[in-house]
Amino acid sequence: MKNRYKLNEAILSHRKGSGLARPICFLAILMSFFIVSSTTAQTTITGKVTIEADGSPLVGANILEKGTTNGTNADVDGNYEIRVSGPGATLIFSYIGFTPQEIVVQDQSVINVTLEENTTELEGFVVVGYGLQSKKTVTGSIATVDASEMQNIPTAGTDQLLQGRAAGVQVSSDSGTPGGGVFVKIRGASSISGGSDPLYIVDGVPIETGSFGLGLGGATTSAIADLDPSDIENIQILKDASATSIYGARAANGVVIITTKRGSNSKPTVRFSSYYGVDRAINEPDLVTGPEYEMLRNEAAANNGQAQIYADPSSATDTDWASTVFRNGSVRNYDMDISGGNDIVRYAVSGSNFKQEGVLNPETFERNSGRINLDVDVSDKVKFGTSTTFSNSKRNRARNNDNITGVLGGVYFLPSNLPVYQPDGSYTKFSIFENPVAAANEIDFNMDVNRFIGNVFGEYVFKPGLNFKSSWSIDYTQVKEDQYDNTFTNNGSAVNGRATSYAAINSSWISENTLSYVFNVGENNFNTLVGTSIQETTFESTRADGEQFPSNDFTRITDAAVQTSSSSGTSNGIASFFGRVQYDYAGKYLASFSVRRDGSSKFGDENQWGTFPAASVGWVISEEEFFDVETVSNLKLKASYGLTGNQSGIGNFQAKGLWSGASYTDSPGTTPLQLGNPNLKWETTKQLDIGFELGLLDERLQITYDYYHKKTEDLLLAVPVPESTGYSELVQNFGELENKGMELAISADVIQKQDLNWNIQFNISGNRNKILKLAAPFNVYNRDIYRYEEGMPMYSFYFHEQTGVDPATGAPIFTDVDGNGTFDPNVDRKIVGDANPDFFGGIRSNLNYKNFDFSMFFQYSYGNEQLNWNRFFQEHGGTRNTNFLSTQLDRWQNPGDVTMVPKLTAANYAGNLRPSRFVEDGSYLRLKTLNIGYNIPQSFISKLGTGVSSVRVYMTGQNLLTFTNYTGTDPETTATASTSLTRGIEFYTVPQSKSIVGGINISF
Amino acid sequence: MKFYKLHIVLVLLVALGCDVLEQSPQTSIDETTAIRDQKSAEAALNGLYDQLQSGNYYGDNIQIISDVSSDISQSIGTWDFYREMDTYVTVPGNLEVRNLWGQIYSAVNHANNLIADVPGIEATQAVKDQILGEAYFIRALAYFDLSRTFAGIPGVTGTMGVPIVTEPSRGITDASFPTRPSIQASYDQVLADLQLAEGLLTGLPSKNRASEASVKALYSRVYLYLGNDALAEQYATEVIDNYGLTLEQNYASIFVDENSSGSIFELAYNTTDGNGIRNWYFPSAEGGRGDIALHQPFALDVIGRADDERGDLIALDPNIAGAYYPTKFGKSGGDDNIPILRLSEMFLNRAEARANAATTPAERLAALDDLNEVRNRADLADTAGVGVDTNDEILAAIAHERSIEFMMEGHRFYDLVRTGKALTILVGLERLNGPNETLTNAGRQIFPIPSREIDANINLDSSSQNEAYR
Repeated sequence: MKNRYKLNEAILSHRKGSGLARPICFLAILMSFFIVSSTTAQTTITGKVTIEADGSPLVGANILEKGTTNGTNADVDGNYEIRVSGPGATLIFSYIGFTPQEIVVQDQSVINVTLEENTTELEGFVVVGYGLQSKKTVTGSIATVDASEMQNIPTAGTDQLLQGRAAGVQVSSDSGTPGGGVFVKIRGASSISGGSDPLYIVDGVPIETGSFGLGLGGATTSAIADLDPSDIENIQILKDASATSIYGARAANGVVIITTKRGSNSKPTVRFSSYYGVDRAINEPDLVTGPEYEMLRNEAAANNGQAQIYADPSSATDTDWASTVFRNGSVRNYDMDISGGNDIVRYAVSGSNFKQEGVLNPETFERNSGRINLDVDVSDKVKFGTSTTFSNSKRNRARNNDNITGVLGGVYFLPSNLPVYQPDGSYTKFSIFENPVAAANEIDFNMDVNRFIGNVFGEYVFKPGLNFKSSWSIDYTQVKEDQYDNTFTNNGSAVNGRATSYAAINSSWISENTLSYVFNVGENNFNTLVGTSIQETTFESTRADGEQFPSNDFTRITDAAVQTSSSSGTSNGIASFFGRVQYDYAGKYLASFSVRRDGSSKFGDENQWGTFPAASVGWVISEEEFFDVETVSNLKLKASYGLTGNQSGIGNFQAKGLWSGASYTDSPGTTPLQLGNPNLKWETTKQLDIGFELGLLDERLQITYDYYHKKTEDLLLAVPVPESTGYSELVQNFGELENKGMELAISADVIQKQDLNWNIQFNISGNRNKILKLAAPFNVYNRDIYRYEEGMPMYSFYFHEQTGVDPATGAPIFTDVDGNGTFDPNVDRKIVGDANPDFFGGIRSNLNYKNFDFSMFFQYSYGNEQLNWNRFFQEHGGTRNTNFLSTQLDRWQNPGDVTMVPKLTAANYAGNLRPSRFVEDGSYLRLKTLNIGYNIPQSFISKLGTGVSSVRVYMTGQNLLTFTNYTGTDPETTATASTSLTRGIEFYTVPQSKSIVGGINISF
Repeated sequence: MKFYKLHIVLVLLVALGCDVLEQSPQTSIDETTAIRDQKSAEAALNGLYDQLQSGNYYGDNIQIISDVSSDISQSIGTWDFYREMDTYVTVPGNLEVRNLWGQIYSAVNHANNLIADVPGIEATQAVKDQILGEAYFIRALAYFDLSRTFAGIPGVTGTMGVPIVTEPSRGITDASFPTRPSIQASYDQVLADLQLAEGLLTGLPSKNRASEASVKALYSRVYLYLGNDALAEQYATEVIDNYGLTLEQNYASIFVDENSSGSIFELAYNTTDGNGIRNWYFPSAEGGRGDIALHQPFALDVIGRADDERGDLIALDPNIAGAYYPTKFGKSGGDDNIPILRLSEMFLNRAEARANAATTPAERLAALDDLNEVRNRADLADTAGVGVDTNDEILAAIAHERSIEFMMEGHRFYDLVRTGKALTILVGLERLNGPNETLTNAGRQIFPIPSREIDANINLDSSSQNEAYR
């Protein structure tokens, strides 16, 4: 029997699957039409549906008369009653996770059926927006990540764990800070100054993903880190327009749907897991020694015709600043969950504790979280459920990443010839930079986040296939931060201690209602959905600052002599209507159409509403009668095209011309804030996707390929305006951006034997990003090192192209861009590369032999440039009195020397030079995880007699090896993550850690 | 029936949905209601002073730009935008140049809003005159600073003026892309605004706000720049004679105690609304950034004048050999007031105007008298007799006195340029972290139009850039 009805049948009832399906209300006259036209029945059939394995009743099983909308569900005893049109009618018995059966009604009046459980069938479904869809009939481009791959890995954030696991999804950690921000781009960045982060949906709730808390240079935090990865059942990544456009105005960057674990109809199962391990930075800053520092300074002075600065460099103090703050960190995790249920109530409850002590003192992240997922079947028709997560995340933060006065700023800037402490025991101070030991130990910086994500839904089944669902959700984040810089720090010493206290609440409520109707007419299968969604987000913050403390014993602002405080708030809202029809003819010919209409408070009255349609078609060739190739088990061609929108990254009131407060000493005042633009509207991304899925040898080899072309129009862009207007920019819908690329994913079950299984997964993606239209080229970040220009990709580096160093003189050689015969720093800058990889992806190998399992996961990025901006400051050629990176030792010294690092003179390192030698090849291949596990044999466990049903022990290594030519600490990081305009820059960035953990999983 | 109920639910949901689209800002107001009555106009006027206070303008930037480009200060830290100025290699992309440009125009636009809207509000004419007078003065100051920084000094350097915008920006229109007029037109705008302000303001009610006294003081300075010695002298005399001003005898008190008897216009700061000027000069040992230090010969010269109390306001960084820093603005909370116009400048302006025009020994003595007013206040003896006999010698003595009197107040580079001395004095300047520097390119007596402005303004192109930066 072919499985082509799986989709409809699965969705007809989602008893077990209701956690996966998240439909909601609806609207639709269309719907009522079908309801009115339901058929009249003449013969009554009764019977009982049971589970083959144990003969127990299959509560809620679906019984449908084929070709009609006539159906019912089995009751709590598995009994059913249905009136059919008469002999010759075909009844379809189905249930999610069971192989469906078709039985033709002869003249019997009782039909008892046993359904066989089919675990692979569950895997045959993917979660799509507001529902489930059979994998076989999906026409969109959807990547599924099995959460079991991502568990027991010592990483705080689920977003980080996606790295390398799905084609087309580029993930990189902004830094090695635990719980820090993560860069996730699905099919390239489709917006310039609007946000490019995907929309995250957790159990149907679109959650906030920004970086809350106080800005610290470029350091960000990840709101996704509030979720415990071990709660996750699976993750679907929606990539093309037909999959995403049901989320309309927020879908242009792709959608990540996270589904958490739910209870099943089974006896209680308790699982406990824990791991513990150590971590260390994958690389530490490589700076010169004290004697080398003095030698280089003297050499520069001599070259500049100045007196020697240090009499005897060889006897210089030698401090390795990095070793004063880098440390062996630790990481540990405890997880406990219990799940089970019966016909009426099913539950999954979990709690966990994760703590990571970062590799750089004092960075720490700790998360305590709990989850309760419940499903209650009040009757065959009425169901309720809830998905609730609470978490508390504590961070010990430090001012790193794009911040010269933090811990790492001190490590890089303080000369190696200075001691950590002065003879009197006080910290050595140097210029504006904090002594790194003081920055690590004398600054308290705690961030405390309480997060509640709750969802309650009710469902009413009018009749099999016709469901109304109403869902109410809240995403509530409370952030509290306290900072205190005591008088041993520069920041604190000027004002006798400086403290900041900050509290913020971000609250978002969402109401969604959907009406879904699944039916077939002969071989024509329809899955239809209409719905509404309303969301309102408010943000409030209060901040207090204090200076002048009586002593370092006092750290609360109430004791400060000078106190200031402020409060602020903002809000936005979205209202939406949407609908979708998925159609297939006999599982062979597939089509879908969806449309969403969104209104947003962010936009001007002229353009408040936007419409985002999408359509797709597919052809399952392998289902055709004529297709008779034994080795090909699945061959599907598909294509989609659609529109999606984006409204993130702009202010809530960007459309309005506004004035804000601005006082003059003690007198209240106002000042112009921004220019208004009442025509502001959505960014629109038009995406074409063409692809195929190929399954060979009974799906042992699966290949998925997609080509896509995304064009984003009406970019929300802060267009530079002449500053003679009094403003520097106006947010306009101006500009176009293109992303096109290919994705290939291969999964092969190389060996499938009783005791030996070997699976290899490989994915590779290439994306080409190009700016098609801009009002005018513009430069971003300080020293204008990034340039946005038509015809070039985003994140392009804008430098003086250095082609070498003159072997005769040691002077740097720069390209004369305008060809006028001389190099002029004013005009001879050009784009020398960009931070976008040419290709990226991952390779994973899973091997199971008897009780052993062994997995290896590599992740790679090729062709991306990484800017080692630390070198700009620490390869200063003696023009500053700050420390040098060891790369400075490669300087030109004698005629004939061939190097990229010029002779140490003021002219060769003049302040107006931006040499391209700092833009390096950032390609890398990384052994992301290496894991070996052992399942204690059942025979041994049973002897324990303690109720333990399984025990697995394992060791996992993370980031153990990195292969790269990049000279900085980590080719993956981005220091300036607080702005979406820059990427691929190391600038006092905390490198990621490598860790080794050992762990155990126990089930009872 | 079920569907009937469902429809009701739907209608409710849609109603709710429309509601969430009505959001209002909580921390800002619509520009159309920003200036609508006396209270809001006065608030907007306070905001205009906040524009001057910005760290990109009088909060520290314009003073540092002038001093670091001259023989007073040098850049010894990491902020290479000031180092570019210090070493005379400033590029059009220089961030601090752009910051200054953008912030001054932000003040201009703010003033334009007041000038456009205040005449239409409900208020007495006296209230309107006061607000408008202050707005015209600040716009005059803004165009003066723009002109002397980016256009030049008529007859000395520069030919193109700065774009003149006199209407508030309420959207981007053709008028948002102005061209550069002649340098004369730029200074004409300054004088026109001063004239309007002069007619609207009376007296000196507050030293922290624009007044008739500050209008006249700025007049005196502008005429000195324009080479009109008679009017420079006349306005200086009016300020000296008419507003009950006296030179504060304790020089340090000008900065420590603030709003001193010789103050004409100074921006008020407090601990919650501070400036960053201290931070740039003060070393890390004192909780500063230590990025800017005095040139050693200048510091030693001032300290070496044993009786000069102004030398007491210079200290030495204990950690960096030869790094002297001024302590004028030394309040750790950044709450030092920033003086913009002081009485001593009026004496020195008048001394200079008189010396420029002097043809008789008596006229030269009159110039020296004014100079000595300032010297005596600093506990120095009169300058007289040997070495200060000719006009040039007197002018040199005045210029020297000005450099010390206004150290860290942003006068020096502009003074050198307007008097044609920049290329002869800014020679072989000793620096702590590099070789000596000399200003050799006469075109670099003015700063580049920010490259971003030329990119963003369709009516500007490379020929609109000041010549030395093309």
